[in-house]
Amino acid sequence: MSAALGKTSYRDRTPEFLSVAERLKKSISSGSNADVSSSSSGKPDGTRSAVAVQSEFNKRASKIGFGIHQTSQKLSKLAKLAKRTSVFDDPTMEIQELTAVIKQDITALNAAVVDLQLVCNSQNESGNISTDTTTHSTTVVDNLKNRLMGATKEFKEVLTMRTENLKVHENRRQLFSSSASKDAANPFVRQRPLASRSTASASPAPPPPWANGSASSSSSQLFPSRQSDVESQPLLPQQHQQRQQQQQQQQQMVPLQDSYMQSRAEALHNVESTIHELSSIFTQLATMVSQQGELAIRIDENMDDTLTNVEGAQGQLVRYLNSISSNRWLMIKIFFVLVVFLMIFLFFVA
Amino acid sequence: MALNLRQKQTECIIRMLNLNQPVNSTGTANEEVYKILIYDKFCQNILSPLIHVKDLRKHGVTLYFLIDKDRKPVHDVPAVYFVQPSQPNIHRIITDASRGLYDSLHLNFSSSIPRPLLEDLASGTLGSDSINRIAKVHDQYLEFVTLEDTLFSLAQKASYVQLNDPSAGDKEIEEIVEKIVSGLFCVLATLAVVPVIRCPRGGPAEMVASALDQKLRDHLLAKNNLFSEGGNFMSSFQRPILCLFDRNFELAVGIQHDFRYCPLVHDVLGLKLNRLTVQGEKGGMRSYELDSSDPFWLTNGSIEFPGVAMEIESQLNKYKKDVDEVNRRTGGADGQSEFEGTDLIGNTKHLMNAVNSLPELTERKQVIDKHTNIATVLLGEIKERSLDSYAKMENDMMIRGGIDRSELMSVLKGKGSKMDKLRFAIIYLISSETINPQEVELVESALKESEVDPCAFQYVKKIKSLNVQLASANSASRSNIVDWAEKLYGQSLSAVTAGVKNLLSSDRQLALTRTVEALMEGKPNPEIDNYLVLDPRAPKSSSGGGGLKGPFKEAIVFMVGGGNYVEYGGLQELAQRQQPVKHIVYGTTEILTGAEFVDQLTLLGQKMGLGVSSANPPAPAQ
Repeated sequence: MSAALGKTSYRDRTPEFLSVAERLKKSISSGSNADVSSSSSGKPDGTRSAVAVQSEFNKRASKIGFGIHQTSQKLSKLAKLAKRTSVFDDPTMEIQELTAVIKQDITALNAAVVDLQLVCNSQNESGNISTDTTTHSTTVVDNLKNRLMGATKEFKEVLTMRTENLKVHENRRQLFSSSASKDAANPFVRQRPLASRSTASASPAPPPPWANGSASSSSSQLFPSRQSDVESQPLLPQQHQQRQQQQQQQQQMVPLQDSYMQSRAEALHNVESTIHELSSIFTQLATMVSQQGELAIRIDENMDDTLTNVEGAQGQLVRYLNSISSNRWLMIKIFFVLVVFLMIFLFFVA
Repeated sequence: MALNLRQKQTECIIRMLNLNQPVNSTGTANEEVYKILIYDKFCQNILSPLIHVKDLRKHGVTLYFLIDKDRKPVHDVPAVYFVQPSQPNIHRIITDASRGLYDSLHLNFSSSIPRPLLEDLASGTLGSDSINRIAKVHDQYLEFVTLEDTLFSLAQKASYVQLNDPSAGDKEIEEIVEKIVSGLFCVLATLAVVPVIRCPRGGPAEMVASALDQKLRDHLLAKNNLFSEGGNFMSSFQRPILCLFDRNFELAVGIQHDFRYCPLVHDVLGLKLNRLTVQGEKGGMRSYELDSSDPFWLTNGSIEFPGVAMEIESQLNKYKKDVDEVNRRTGGADGQSEFEGTDLIGNTKHLMNAVNSLPELTERKQVIDKHTNIATVLLGEIKERSLDSYAKMENDMMIRGGIDRSELMSVLKGKGSKMDKLRFAIIYLISSETINPQEVELVESALKESEVDPCAFQYVKKIKSLNVQLASANSASRSNIVDWAEKLYGQSLSAVTAGVKNLLSSDRQLALTRTVEALMEGKPNPEIDNYLVLDPRAPKSSSGGGGLKGPFKEAIVFMVGGGNYVEYGGLQELAQRQQPVKHIVYGTTEILTGAEFVDQLTLLGQKMGLGVSSANPPAPAQ
């Protein structure tokens, strides 16, 4: 194995080991063939159920792990798609589909992890498994939770990046389109930044944010192509028509009202995005605080050595306590002392 | 290919944790298999500087135990054992297998498991009929401790004592040489190189070199060797050179006081396996980790202590400035006038940036705090023991080759722990070219006054009197003109030239550094010409061809008997100085502080019978 790969620095001794074992087995079995049957490797029944529960746990854990792995692969695909910044060739359909799929996955995985935690807890409470197994199970669950949280954070980041890109698109579009008249910034137009996506709940399709509350009329040509994006907001097409009508009808009054509406819309937009950013900051802080756990622990930093020593010492003390508190030994010692006294007494008197 | 030993060893360990299946490019293969890691004390020392618990979790290890600990069963989970191949470990493994603690056992031995132990294992597990639990048996060839990218140690205790023990028999010496050779073999196997070996003649270095050469030859002839085939067309330009030295080559470095940050921390505070425990500022012991992930340690490890203090200051100021900037931007310090409506977005953006930069700032602060604490404790020690004067005077002694008697006496009667004075006295002995018996008597009496055990001193005196070459350093650090002047005008000029020399050569170069430089260049040099050349790849009959002595780009330097950070620092400096930058890996049997080394010398002195109560010191045989 090593020569072919050339760069491995270890050696597999398993075949040698197995051949040695074969040889010894033959020599043992040729010597005595009674021993083979007596040694049964069957586990006692009590542990069999424990093993069954454990393997159930393991199967679930590995399924969840595999699911997380697949989700992160999809996430990387989504990230690549979102990074493509071209103004006119926007793969919005794919992105939305992928986003929906990933969101579903994450919710499902979340539920599965919670389930697994319950199984783990019930398993820990029901008797006959060792402390090491409980530690192992809890660690596995923690590990899965961490990985899921990492995947969700990545998801959020990808979506924020997507928002940024769309904003950039909008800005560029504005630059290219040279229309002077500004549309009335309809205060009904809700500008929902994508940062509103929290881990558990999200609206399925991110509506493209209308940059700075003003959309040029030439961009109205693009509205039909974006109709599909706004299926969650059936109000918008009507509002566009409304807006166009308003434009035509209220050319005079528009400028004045325009600026007022515009500024108010802008203010609203600002406040909303601020609130969302603040919420993301708080969640970030919370995760940071909770992640201070296992940052830089070294293997030999744990108190295992002292723990084993203390355990040993405790065992010795307990044994000693038993020995001095058990009545039997006490009686025997007293008996001996009495006998010795008697003998001395008899010796010197008699 | 830069020789980065730490990275290679970490890769091997990660592969081992992946149950020896190849790791795919994302580096996180097989996370779905959760395993348990079990190691013994020696392998714990190997693992702890390299892998943290965080990395273990990343590779799916949930629990990690010492093999001697009383462990409970965890069914249905594979266990990875990483232990030394020794009898008690094998017994423990057999017990674990028969108790059925884990589902399957993957055994990895840190070096090659000898055949009889393998058979023991087989028979033991067959006897308890649990042989089907043992999934794999591997030899990992990882029996060395890597502390930094280019620094390793074999962690073999007291090898200097055993090698120089006058009462040691041939068999014992062979055993030790065998152990050293197997450790070196593991290093070479991990690096996957077959170097050209050079060593000075005579002494343990030559023994180790020839034994290693033999082992490599035997191994290369075997069918499936661990080194890549096709080494025939690899010219010597691509193969590294392995330089073996013995501690007696330059004894002074192991003993003297050095004033650079890294050696100070190791010597004074006791840095073990990159871990340091010091008294914290608010009382209570704090333990820190000092390795290549600490940027301050990396850049400032080799500068002198006063420079370090200044660096800490400047970093602290920079940090304070950054924090103030962050505060200012987010309107923390200034008044509330910044909070306008229109400025809201700007502010939150700043707030977000601030929050994002929080982890980095906290980390920087932690590093600065850590080093401030270490530097404070160091400063206390230095003041108490006046280590700076020791370091300076020892350096002067080694350069000048002698010292004023009055200075010598003042130091011996002055501040400093007993060990410091003993070390100073030994350096005096090593540095002076001729032994002046009255001065030596004076020194010994001064030592006795301070209740210092002069055993080591007498041992060194004996060694020196047997004309073992100890101080090759000072002889060559003088330039030619000064040498000639000395010969002509005698001692009176030496005081003058001492000052001049100090101006010319502010940094005394270690003999080791000079020799390695010469060996790497490969030009004929009277110092190294009589060194042995061994090439395991060349057939036995060929004489070392010209290609073998060409300039080498990479070197592995190994010191038999104990090394320290001073040598390591010197070699790294040498590597950086070269044009183009070369790579030097430094290794030793164990990393010793000055005190530990002097303890070994004391032990040797006692074995030689030079006890404390020797009323008549042996006269130097001139």
